[in-house]
Amino acid sequence: MKLVKKIDRVILAEFGSPKELLKAAEKMRQEGYKEFDCHSPFHIHGMDAAMGLKRSPLGYIVFAFATMGLLGALGLQYWTSAVDYPLVISGKPFFSGPAFVPVVFALTILTAAITAVVGMIAINRLPRLRHPLFSSDRFGKFSDGSFFISVESSDKKYNEAHTAGFLKTIGGQNIEILKDE
Amino acid sequence: MQSLKISLKVKEQILSKENMKLDRNTYKFTDKGNLGNIALVVGIVGLAASAVGYIQDSHQFYFSYLVAFFFWISVALGALFFNLLHHLTRASWSTAIRKLTESMMSVIPFMFVLIIPVLLGMHELYHWTHEDVVATDLVLQQKAPYLNIPFFIIRVVFYFAVWSILTFALIKNSARQDIKHEDSILARMRKYSAPGMMLFAFTLTFASFDWLMSLEPHWFSTIFGVYIFCGVFISMLAFTIIMVRYQNGQGAFDGIVTVEHRHTLGKLLFAFTIMWAYMGFSQYLLIWYANLPEETFWYLQRWEGSWRTLSIILPIAHFGLPFVALLPQAAKRNGNWLLMMAFYMLLMRYMDLYWIAMPTHSPEGINYSWMDISTMAGIGGIFIWLFWRKYTSGAAVPVNDPGLKVSMEYVN
Amino acid sequence: MADLAQTATKALKEPAHHERLITGEPSFEQVTNAVSRVVESKTPKAWWVLFGISSSATLLLLVAIAYLFWEGIGIWGLNVPVAWGLAIVNLVFWIGIGHAGTLISAVLFLLRQRWRTSINRFAEAMTIFAVICALIFPAIHVGRIWVVYYIFPIPNQMGVWPNFRSPLLWDVFAFGTYFTVSLLFWYVGLIPDLATLRERATNRIKKIVYGVLSLGWYGGNKQWKHYEMAYLILAAIATPLVLSVHSIVSMDFAVSLLPGWHTTIFPPYFVAGAIFSGFAMVMTLAILARAAFGLKDIFNMRVLERMNLIMLVTGSMVGYAYAMEFFIAWYSGNEYEMFAFVNRAFGPYAWAYWIMISCNVIVPQFFWSKKLRTNIAFMFIASILINVGMWFERFVIVVTLSRDYLPSAWGYYTPTFWDIAILIGSFGLFFSLFLLFLRFLPMVAMSEVKGVLPQADPHFAGNKQAHSQAVS
Repeated sequence: MKLVKKIDRVILAEFGSPKELLKAAEKMRQEGYKEFDCHSPFHIHGMDAAMGLKRSPLGYIVFAFATMGLLGALGLQYWTSAVDYPLVISGKPFFSGPAFVPVVFALTILTAAITAVVGMIAINRLPRLRHPLFSSDRFGKFSDGSFFISVESSDKKYNEAHTAGFLKTIGGQNIEILKDE
Repeated sequence: MQSLKISLKVKEQILSKENMKLDRNTYKFTDKGNLGNIALVVGIVGLAASAVGYIQDSHQFYFSYLVAFFFWISVALGALFFNLLHHLTRASWSTAIRKLTESMMSVIPFMFVLIIPVLLGMHELYHWTHEDVVATDLVLQQKAPYLNIPFFIIRVVFYFAVWSILTFALIKNSARQDIKHEDSILARMRKYSAPGMMLFAFTLTFASFDWLMSLEPHWFSTIFGVYIFCGVFISMLAFTIIMVRYQNGQGAFDGIVTVEHRHTLGKLLFAFTIMWAYMGFSQYLLIWYANLPEETFWYLQRWEGSWRTLSIILPIAHFGLPFVALLPQAAKRNGNWLLMMAFYMLLMRYMDLYWIAMPTHSPEGINYSWMDISTMAGIGGIFIWLFWRKYTSGAAVPVNDPGLKVSMEYVN
Repeated sequence: MADLAQTATKALKEPAHHERLITGEPSFEQVTNAVSRVVESKTPKAWWVLFGISSSATLLLLVAIAYLFWEGIGIWGLNVPVAWGLAIVNLVFWIGIGHAGTLISAVLFLLRQRWRTSINRFAEAMTIFAVICALIFPAIHVGRIWVVYYIFPIPNQMGVWPNFRSPLLWDVFAFGTYFTVSLLFWYVGLIPDLATLRERATNRIKKIVYGVLSLGWYGGNKQWKHYEMAYLILAAIATPLVLSVHSIVSMDFAVSLLPGWHTTIFPPYFVAGAIFSGFAMVMTLAILARAAFGLKDIFNMRVLERMNLIMLVTGSMVGYAYAMEFFIAWYSGNEYEMFAFVNRAFGPYAWAYWIMISCNVIVPQFFWSKKLRTNIAFMFIASILINVGMWFERFVIVVTLSRDYLPSAWGYYTPTFWDIAILIGSFGLFFSLFLLFLRFLPMVAMSEVKGVLPQADPHFAGNKQAHSQAVS
């Protein structure tokens, strides 16, 4: 997969409510569409299942990086305090297990948090400042109170006339065909 | 109970379940497994065997008994806390298991009888009861206004009075609600819960100071009460998971108590496992770091002989393993896995209490006795018998509680 | 307690799951408008007045710090044994304030307390600004500011590493992590709302700024899926972080040998106190913002009441900790320990001690009364008193050290003009940053508030007609 996917054309249809959007998404999935997305001002409960999306893999990525953060923090403290320049401080051993816990904890959390955010941005292929959707005047309302389905031209079932017609039958309104300018 | 008017839709819903095993009129749960009788037999045999043990080695008996007693009263006290919390937060998810947790705390007044051997054995358990020792020990003289036999007994009576009154108040109102629902009943339960929670916090703290911390009368730790509280709540959660699973296993409660409730109990178990570790580590780190002899000796005792092995295993087994085993969502929703973890956590609670109390008895190393098992079986058997008798004698779900419907439909 | 019964009756009539979190039944568009309007409208005069005051105080902070760097920390009222003085009092105070934000955004999220959506953005912003204020104090207190990088494990010409066994170094990592995680959490929450502002922007500069900051978010469910997961993970890891940060702060004191400082309950006690004071600060700010911007439906009474209840709970926990400390000080049989506590309550700083007890233990107990906890004027005053009390709690812990083991060194610590100047300055900085936030960013998480509106539920029955008509 390329880092930034080129999207030529998108069909956009508007729906009246979260309920209609959810039903339409189910029909899109049953019809066999894959490269479509549902746009809403907030995450709609049950939409992942309706669109047939798998659970996000982000949790596993974060777990892997957090483990590395944990080992890294332990290694850092071990190496600096017990190997590279060992100093006796307040009679504590060079490798003071209990005293190293807070920093290990903090750095584990830090790596986990950074991984979660950077990972989310990367998986979503953001930042993306150019998209055919942005050429629509109505689409701006997606973050206000409107609900949309967009179908990308890369979908195997994409057929401008047919897809637009199908969107209409499942309740889509104000259908637009958008091109990358 | 025959005169129950089925007024709420929810009752129809309960009764329409095909697998429903509750009595149609009384909502009583009929146990197919005969748990109560088995528990009673185990309890009597356990106590009888322990009595023999008492003749053989009274010192061992008293320590084993204290650990077993604290282990089982933890379940009941945890249930009291759970109910107070349920009413205070107006929780809706836990309504379906409220009768179960109420039955657990109903054992508290009976535990007052079971604490008598501890009072009889004070001289063997608690060092500070020896007048000749106190006479030569300035620190113990200083503590004598608190650590003395009459005051100790007064406090025991006081703790049980507070816990029993709270228990009675909640259970009585719960029974009234079974007959007819009035909004004022839940309101009254909430009214008791607010000061009840405050009293619970202080009584549990001082009970843990009295019964466990004063085994080493020189040692002190301000966090000890909170640490014990985390353990108490873990015990109750683990026990509840097991009982919920037991009754679900008989096909009863389908659609009433579901995987969603077990999932939430699992989440709480997971959270309090972390809390326990947090409290335990805070205590250890601060004492280890400051390295004051008047505090460190408690840990050094637990670093003697085979106690050292237990001290190393405890944080790993009580925190590390369950942390990993309960972390994934699937682990909390898998019935068998969660059941296994609940049993495991009860074992860990026992291990923790053993580690707290027993080094006073056998400082040279772990000296595991058959009496440790017999007292656990004895008190445990009686505990489960009493709890089960209460649970199967009345409605097994608070059918008139308006929160029940929400609880049944609860999803995580 | 009769009011508790009333609450109960009401709650029974509206079961928790179906209650309205946002009053006034707004539509999605009305939420967008109500929140965005604050950012988009012309800057009100009152804002300029407040900003003028707070930025002047910030200027005082800068002057005080510049003078401090020039002269050294001798300008403060420090002396052994009170060697930390107001610097650490303010540090702990500000870090504590931040904890409510993290609790609201992370812990209440995990507990599915959906009423949090009204206040989480606001509280998270407060967290970040409070942590910024807090971080000033250890930084300027190091003495040789030009080698402040010694606190990081960076290879330096001396070949020495920082001392990882020191709680002060744990602070560096704890605060660094806390600040970063809070910032990330806040930013992730802001992305969808920044997209809203981008779509509504009227001029090119705003469009570019909000466009870049929103990363080109287009609200696709394929984005939402990963977004929600990231949010959940951040909440899950921020929860133990709340516990750890103030625990580590408490260890600055508790790992020592000093009576009154070395006690094992310090970590959970500090955490409870931090949440307590943080909620009080959120309350103060929320009441002001509510009045100033007319957001009464969003910062509604139900939200305020629950915040008051959290203050009641955490305030009681703090009270429990005070009691434990006092009891164990006696029970320990250690005369120094006993002296430290008697000295706190009846020594030269008794006035501060009793301010602390009345504000932290007694004031929150009034929230048992339904009448008082739903009374705006009372809760506003109480929230300020609680913050005063929590500031004095740290003050008591730090300055009662003025009577330690060595009576010949006993004294009475008094802050100097510059101590006070920096404290006032830190408030100035906090409010300046907060005012800028109110001006330029949506102070309520619009996407989350919309998500808890009844019509956001795909199984919602009513009002569908109206929506369909609006579209066509």
